Amino acid sequence: MKAYIDTHVPEFLRRKWVLIVGLLVVWFVLGRIFKGVHTLDIGNSEDTPTTEVLGQFAANIRAARAENPIFVYIFNPFRQGIESFVEVIRAVISDPAPGALIPVIGWVGILAFIGFIVFATSNWRTSLLSMVLIFGCGVLGMWTYSMDTLALTIGAVVLSLVIALPIGIWAGLNDRVMKTVRPVLDLAQILPTLVYLAPLALVFLIGIAASTIATMIYSIPIGIRITAHAIRSLQNGPIEAAESMGSTRWQKLTKVQLPMAKRTIILGVNQTTLAALSFVVIAALIGAPGLGEPVLQALSIRNIGDGVTAGLAVVFIAVMLDRSTTAAVVHSNQIPLTGKPLLVRRLSLGAAAIATIVAIMISRQQLWAAVFPESLDFRDPIGNWFDAITEWFTTTFYFLTTSFNEVFTLNILNPIEYLLADAPWYLTIIMISVIAAIIGGRTVAILSAILLLLIVWIGLWNDTMITLTQVLIATTIVMLIGVVLGVAAGRNAKFERILKPFLDAGQTLPAFVYLVPVLALFGPTRFAAIVCGVFYAAPVVVRVVADGVRGVPKEMVEAAIASGSSTTQVVTKVQLPASKKSLLLGANQGLIFVLAVVVIGGLVGAGGLGYLVLQGASKPELQGKGLAAGLAIVLLGIVMDRIAHASARRS
Amino acid sequence: MRRNLTKRMAALPLLAVAGLVLAGCGDSVNDAATETATEEAAVATEEAVTEEAAEEVAACGDWAIAMHGWVGYTASAQVVAEVAQDALGCTIEQTQLEEAGVTYDAMEAGSIDVIVEDWGGGRWQEWVDRGAIQEVGTNGNVGLIGMYVPQWMADEYPDITDGTKLNDYAELFQTPETGDKGAWYEGPPGYTTIGEKIIDAYGLNYQVVSTGSEAALIELFTQAADNKTAALGYFYEPQNFLAQVDLARVNFPANDWTDPAEASGMTDYPESPLMKLATTELVESGSPFATLVANFNWTNDDQNMVAADIEGGMTPQEAAQKWIAANKDTVNSWLAGTGASIS
Repeated sequence: MKAYIDTHVPEFLRRKWVLIVGLLVVWFVLGRIFKGVHTLDIGNSEDTPTTEVLGQFAANIRAARAENPIFVYIFNPFRQGIESFVEVIRAVISDPAPGALIPVIGWVGILAFIGFIVFATSNWRTSLLSMVLIFGCGVLGMWTYSMDTLALTIGAVVLSLVIALPIGIWAGLNDRVMKTVRPVLDLAQILPTLVYLAPLALVFLIGIAASTIATMIYSIPIGIRITAHAIRSLQNGPIEAAESMGSTRWQKLTKVQLPMAKRTIILGVNQTTLAALSFVVIAALIGAPGLGEPVLQALSIRNIGDGVTAGLAVVFIAVMLDRSTTAAVVHSNQIPLTGKPLLVRRLSLGAAAIATIVAIMISRQQLWAAVFPESLDFRDPIGNWFDAITEWFTTTFYFLTTSFNEVFTLNILNPIEYLLADAPWYLTIIMISVIAAIIGGRTVAILSAILLLLIVWIGLWNDTMITLTQVLIATTIVMLIGVVLGVAAGRNAKFERILKPFLDAGQTLPAFVYLVPVLALFGPTRFAAIVCGVFYAAPVVVRVVADGVRGVPKEMVEAAIASGSSTTQVVTKVQLPASKKSLLLGANQGLIFVLAVVVIGGLVGAGGLGYLVLQGASKPELQGKGLAAGLAIVLLGIVMDRIAHASARRS
Repeated sequence: MRRNLTKRMAALPLLAVAGLVLAGCGDSVNDAATETATEEAAVATEEAVTEEAAEEVAACGDWAIAMHGWVGYTASAQVVAEVAQDALGCTIEQTQLEEAGVTYDAMEAGSIDVIVEDWGGGRWQEWVDRGAIQEVGTNGNVGLIGMYVPQWMADEYPDITDGTKLNDYAELFQTPETGDKGAWYEGPPGYTTIGEKIIDAYGLNYQVVSTGSEAALIELFTQAADNKTAALGYFYEPQNFLAQVDLARVNFPANDWTDPAEASGMTDYPESPLMKLATTELVESGSPFATLVANFNWTNDDQNMVAADIEGGMTPQEAAQKWIAANKDTVNSWLAGTGASIS
């Protein structure tokens, strides 16, 4: 076959991009001719045979919950165990016992305790920053909500690590285990969070247990992945040395591999924690206490200011957790102190410990130290200020944004959607599979075709294509932003420092906070959904790209500059090609993050699968269709992820 | 040096535990709080006994009200919660939750006890059949769903409010979203709708845009009124927003259905009394809270008044208390049979 192609197909046709452009033209022309034929478009409230079966399945689970032995002996005790674990943490920092005024510790005590822990694991600067940020949550008027969120996050992280670390280490040591868990990890990361919230509530009921379990599903894969990576990327030298000295496998693991991998493992803890935090807020949808409550409430009364203050508290906690765990990594890598500095460090630790205990005692006895004082609560002025800013911004830029939206929709969004959703379904499947074959090879093309046919069988083809259009566009924009800002940040440390808080905010600010401003600017449109996706996914890509650019060896850059390259040349010829791996990782992460907010898009007029998921969550008669839509999102995610992976391997 | 590090790390939790134990030994503001609470309760009971010397108020217990995401619901639920806490001494938990399925499941499992406003014309039947949930009457609010246009359009094109003539105006409602069709903005995913059926039944040259949230609809109509742009969208009363922005309802021939599954699409939405739902556990508990929930009943205007205050910047608690203080007779009528009253 290859020999045939080599001799009979003209040179230019063998170039991939020529082929792809040609295909797109053919696709476009055929799509125009057969516009609206066999698009499999069905109404929002219309069921299909598959969705009906799924709906019946959900109904059966529900009816069986009371007596089914799986529930009685496995799910229910499991649920209660998790619930009591998290409740203990809540009782200490956030949730007063019935009739009590404060939890076990008052706000001053909690502040001091956090400060002490961070000081002991890193340095006083980070400790001070952490205390300021947590204090800031109180100033925002969100003390109790913040403590609830913190308690849930800690609970979920501890439980996640108990599972993720051993599995991660095992997968790091054993190839077969790695091969078995990897597909599960892929799946869990692609699966949009809102998709499994309602089914989880069906099994584990609403409240703390279900939200903790949902959070764990989201954060465990990240922990496993990074831990396994940490063990796998170790250098062989010391391990072989240990082996030659006759160490047992256990000794080798505990004395050599784990200590060496510690740095990356703590990074895994960091990422697990941030993932858990961002999820805990969403979990308010199934009754989790914490900052998600004021966020959702603000959405229902369209009080932008209240939503932003709650959202800011989430960002504060995120920055606190991120900086303190990062600082702990740095600290654990430092050369241990000796002599006088060690003495100073020990003395100050001792003093800090005593101060913390005193603070805890005071916080239990003095009212001012127990309950966060109202005089320090600036929720209303801060909220009003954000209200005013948003109001000004949206009214000032409304005409600009709506006309931009219009041009973009007519010239980019609609043509792509015609191509994918308005053409006959078999044409779209053939075209996607052929493109997959060109850029990723035969295996991935066959896989794509099968999975897409599966979506047709489920009956949600048209909605899936509407979603795919938005995901493709959002991912492209995310990559553009990611490369531009990422390169700038990677080249310029000062710029990165300015950018960092915005990245933190973009990554952790709950999407519900900016829904209303986005709606005010763009109306309920597909473009509004794309904006939400970009807002959420861009920070990750910027980070990954910046990291890659920074990792390019200095000598290469200097050599290029010395040989007279302009800045543009340095970027395009040296830094970008050299950080190709990061770019690919960025594209992959961007895609996954955009998919993760697809459901949120359903809240701002995107239609498609996201809307169906939301509809299934709130209309019992359409629950099956919601589950099917979740399944379709997963299938779509796998198709895109596999094509991206295969093409990355090939180039 | 390693040993030092390990030792230091090991000392951490020890210190923490020691600190907590030490601190735990001392008095706490909680003790004071409990004392005050007990005293207050004692005083309250005494007063009740001496002044009223009437029926004894039964212990209320701990109950949870579902909080759904629209402001009218918040108003109703908050008023019920405030009355239950102040007059009956109930411990009320308010849990934010998606409407319908998730909430019914939670009620079946016992983590939610009351829904104060449900629009879903019987979608809870499956749970009623299993004996988990009971209808406990209407809450007095009458819901009316419909399609609306901004008032300026009704002024300019008088027969635009005749639903059967909508095709004459489809061009006005064209958007980039819908191409050469008019945009028909539908409501949030959980809300009852027959929009697609109406479009089919009349062959309307419109395409459904699923706005996905109430916030989206409100932004849509606000922009349409402010900037005099066209918009045709789903809305409903009671909703305080209708008092803030002038909208005109598009009417279809008189309604002839109650179950949306049976609607032909030719006729309008019905006026539907909104339902209260409670768990069988609450209904059979004999708690005065069950009586309060069963008696709770107020008008659309009442709800709008509280909702307006919440949207105006009051907290739901403040807004509810303000209304309660101004409507003591109504509140006392809800308390009839519990032995309690407010003054």
